[in-house]
Amino acid sequence: MADEITITIDGQEVTTTPGKMVVQAANDAGIYVPYLCYHPGMKPYGACRMCVVEVEGQRGTPASCTLPVRDGMVVNTKGDEAVKVRDTTLDLLLSEHPHGCLTCHRIDLCGPQDICLRHVDVVDRCVTCPKNERCELKDTTRFHPQELVSPLTYQYRNLQVETKDPFYDRDYNLCIVCARCTRACDELRGDVAIGMTERAGQVLVGTVMGDSLLESGCEFCGACIDVCPVGALTETSYKWERPARVEQSVCAECPVGCTMTYEVNHWERVVRAVPELNSPANMGQACFQGKFGFEYVNDKRRIRKPLVRRDGELQEATWDEAIAAAAEGLAQYKGSTFALMANPRNTNEELYAAQKFARAVMGSNSVDVASNDRPGTVEGLQDVFGYFAGTMTTWELADSAAVMVVSANLTEEQNVIGVPIKRAVRNGTQQLIVIDSREVELTRYASLWLRPYPGTDPVLLGGLLRCIVDNGLADMEFVNERAEGWDELAACLAPFTLDAVAAETGVSAASIEEAARVYAGSGASALLLGGDGSVGGTRRTMSRMAAGLAIATGNVGKRGAGVMPLYQGANGQGAWDMGIWPGATPGHNLIQETPEAREALGALWGAPVPLEIGSGNRHMFDRAREGAIKAMLVLDDHVHYEDGTLGDVTGGLDALEFLVATSAFPSAVTERADVVFPAEVWAEKTGTYTNIERRVQPLRKVAKNKRVDSRSDLDVVCAIAGAMGARGFSWDGPAQVLDEIGQAVPEYAGISWERLLRERLDIVTTPSDEPQPTQVMYTGNVLTGLQWPCAAEGSADEPEMFVSRFRHGKAQLQPVAWHPRPTAGAEFPLMLAHGRVLLEPGRKPNVTVVGKRNRVEREERFVLNPADAAAARLGEGDAASVTTADGSERRGVVALSDAVPAGVVSLTTLFGELAVEVDSSDRPDPMNHIARLNAVPVRIAATSHAGSPSP
Amino acid sequence: MTTTSRPHGAPDDASPGSLRERARRAIEEQPSPTVTVLSSLLAAQDELGYLPYEAIDEVSMCTGSSVNEVWAVASFYPNFRFTPPARHSVEICWGPTCHVLGAQPILQGIVSHLGLDGEGDTEDGSISLKYNTCLGVCPHAPAMSFDHELAGRMSLDEAVSRVERIRSGDDGADGRTSRG
Repeated sequence: MADEITITIDGQEVTTTPGKMVVQAANDAGIYVPYLCYHPGMKPYGACRMCVVEVEGQRGTPASCTLPVRDGMVVNTKGDEAVKVRDTTLDLLLSEHPHGCLTCHRIDLCGPQDICLRHVDVVDRCVTCPKNERCELKDTTRFHPQELVSPLTYQYRNLQVETKDPFYDRDYNLCIVCARCTRACDELRGDVAIGMTERAGQVLVGTVMGDSLLESGCEFCGACIDVCPVGALTETSYKWERPARVEQSVCAECPVGCTMTYEVNHWERVVRAVPELNSPANMGQACFQGKFGFEYVNDKRRIRKPLVRRDGELQEATWDEAIAAAAEGLAQYKGSTFALMANPRNTNEELYAAQKFARAVMGSNSVDVASNDRPGTVEGLQDVFGYFAGTMTTWELADSAAVMVVSANLTEEQNVIGVPIKRAVRNGTQQLIVIDSREVELTRYASLWLRPYPGTDPVLLGGLLRCIVDNGLADMEFVNERAEGWDELAACLAPFTLDAVAAETGVSAASIEEAARVYAGSGASALLLGGDGSVGGTRRTMSRMAAGLAIATGNVGKRGAGVMPLYQGANGQGAWDMGIWPGATPGHNLIQETPEAREALGALWGAPVPLEIGSGNRHMFDRAREGAIKAMLVLDDHVHYEDGTLGDVTGGLDALEFLVATSAFPSAVTERADVVFPAEVWAEKTGTYTNIERRVQPLRKVAKNKRVDSRSDLDVVCAIAGAMGARGFSWDGPAQVLDEIGQAVPEYAGISWERLLRERLDIVTTPSDEPQPTQVMYTGNVLTGLQWPCAAEGSADEPEMFVSRFRHGKAQLQPVAWHPRPTAGAEFPLMLAHGRVLLEPGRKPNVTVVGKRNRVEREERFVLNPADAAAARLGEGDAASVTTADGSERRGVVALSDAVPAGVVSLTTLFGELAVEVDSSDRPDPMNHIARLNAVPVRIAATSHAGSPSP
Repeated sequence: MTTTSRPHGAPDDASPGSLRERARRAIEEQPSPTVTVLSSLLAAQDELGYLPYEAIDEVSMCTGSSVNEVWAVASFYPNFRFTPPARHSVEICWGPTCHVLGAQPILQGIVSHLGLDGEGDTEDGSISLKYNTCLGVCPHAPAMSFDHELAGRMSLDEAVSRVERIRSGDDGADGRTSRG
């Protein structure tokens, strides 16, 4: 290739590309250059001066991390001069870090309790540091060939260790001021929740005025911990645990599907999660859920043995007894009286087997996944494009010229998707339009924030589409060539005039026009479709509108453009692919519209696929209460069973005659079950997950909780099916199930377990006995997964969908309807739009210490449109209380703003409050129980100032 | 990081005369054509005499930076102070000329007179003592300044009586120092 150049490092010829820094070129070639502040993926910085080298024909010793490669360059990393500079640098570094042990020849022989002959202070000893054996500074010092006899005195900084914040411990006595953490927070995450403070000898990492992380704008993503070379930043839980081995797998918290390396200790406990540096799904990033939410694997409270209800009480039983009891019970409810509720943390193989069981053995199409409470968000995409799926990949968002986010709390629920957006906005290469009635983190990055009345997103999107048509912004060439049904769609847009839409949504006509211009004119626009600003039956219209917007502007099938539905659940996509959908079979085939697919499936299974469309999500529990569904199989626990999203779940379960549940922990579901199986959690499973970008990723067994006699849901379903005499459930492991999935789902035909383990990035790193950052050490064989459609073994996968054709050739544009805004009742006339941000400029939160933990205390502020405030006889600064229909009350003070649409109470709280809540939760799996921020009807009334905090 | 300069929700107390409002006005009314974090911090401190959190927050909003970035700049310079200054400032020059002509005994005498260990504010909040590397009036060394008013050819007795004079004239009125 023309853009390859050759340089010589330590006598070795290295082929590299221009733009790289020498240190990176050396590392890529497996040549070690010591470094402490450089980290792959961050901009050149040159703080530590450890990576100095000599270059022929150049004076002095430049830092190789800021030295770009030049063709023909001759670099010597081991020259006398460079080594001498490094020697001094290391001396200076150690004068700021406890190092009695580091320069001691006995270091390998020491244990924590040993009496130290050199009188190294206990707090200064390496063996008492949480990063011992994982410390880059220690490794680098020990790798250094010279004897270090530092003439410099070391003084302990004697700073208080910060342990009061959630998730992190910060011990700045150990900090070597490499600035990796502040750069990660700034460059990689775009948050700048920490910065450098003071100067010269006093320089350290810190927050504004030494505030806690709860008030500095921290999102607790853990990026700073992942890059810290010393013990200054550590996770609070399992702080001192050292890994006995590491396993690469996929996170199970959200549909982004981050590849993570999990550290497992000698007792088979998962102790740490490190995001994979080069994984195409997350590029070294993670979020608070993935980084800190794995602990439930090790929990003592897990269900340990199968339970069977005898004489009205759940009693421990053997596996055989429980399987027999479940099979016997379920055999009596074949047909449409049976329903299956799967879990988004199930693997594709489990989901496939479960729906096959429900359809082929039980004869019911009532199958759904607990996270699928808003099927409309993808139904419209299926109508138009052909698949219940998005069309984009996560990291191509970095190349989008414009991104429109529709009512999604993206930075909390699908955190890593927000990272490329935040970076691009900060780099000035992207315009961000946020449509949301709440203030969420992304609204602070938005160049345009439209605040519609809650529930009017479908109308607003219709208004945007009409505006694009009216102003001649549509790409009619693309529409005519690639889509059908344009005229019918355009006819439906008649009522969506600018004025009518502005009046209905409360968004100004000028803003709608500007958003339409930006979206249509950017060249590559992405539309991220959340469902928080729309209600029940209108979401299908909304997703049809979204697909229509993408088609009308030609924003699909090219890099940086597309539609991405934002849903919940790690394997929500896999559930739809596997046919966990009451009206569709595996491969997104609608049951009644595609008889040939149904028959092919019946032939594959040797059993007919029922024709009657089943009940999904909340209807399943409604029908259970009505008595139409009498028996259920519920796989694992989910937040939607308790937060009302799926309606009266417990009422439905109570009405059942027979309930089989698998679960890792006791829950409202297991309480009501007749048979309970102790379920394996994701870290104990082998299988595949499909993420939001349709990437099928291998999930590998990380650890096994030894207290628990658990099995995977795949084993449970197959065992029950076997006990019921069904054929076709005797697979020998998930790999074989995946092979059958390939036969049932053409898009998965080219995906096999063997191929998934072959599809990898081979990252060259320096030998692992040389000092490296943790993330670099763990990268190496990154399994990239495969993005469906992947039609045959050997055929490439398709990161970009619909480049030349849609699933059925042309896109089938669908008619849309005007859904009037939800009417407010007289009793609860306002909608509470509750959003969360990392830090609200202009308002200083208060942090108090409760027990040993920091807690955010902040007066809540209800921002009202002046018209609503006048109607409620409230003025600026008045104390008020907001009451919801279920009787919960919040107190705060009133503020007035024209920016808030009429009929809305805007409330913005801080992410720190959620972080504290999750961190201090007693629940075994709190990350799985974070409720969504939905708009709810409320009433507001004045309260007396007494009893509420003064303004 | 914020790309929008004003919060979307309602801010904390920004009523006329509040610290936040005064800081905001000072930042917005900077005459120089180039407004930076540093110039804004200086403007806010000129107005308030110190930089409370509200001023840092306002600078961050006006410049589109995070509060932590602004803090990184503010904490870098010893010229900024983050606690309210004392009511009067006394500066004592310890530049080379003043040093040669006897600044040291005056300096030590004043420090002990005020009951301090060195630079700092007196316990009663009346006087901020600062050392200055050069007050720029070397012909009149040893020099001091009292509430920014220069005084030359000082002796310890003279210095103590001047300190007492501004302290006794203290009616709580605004003799505030600027720039710490």
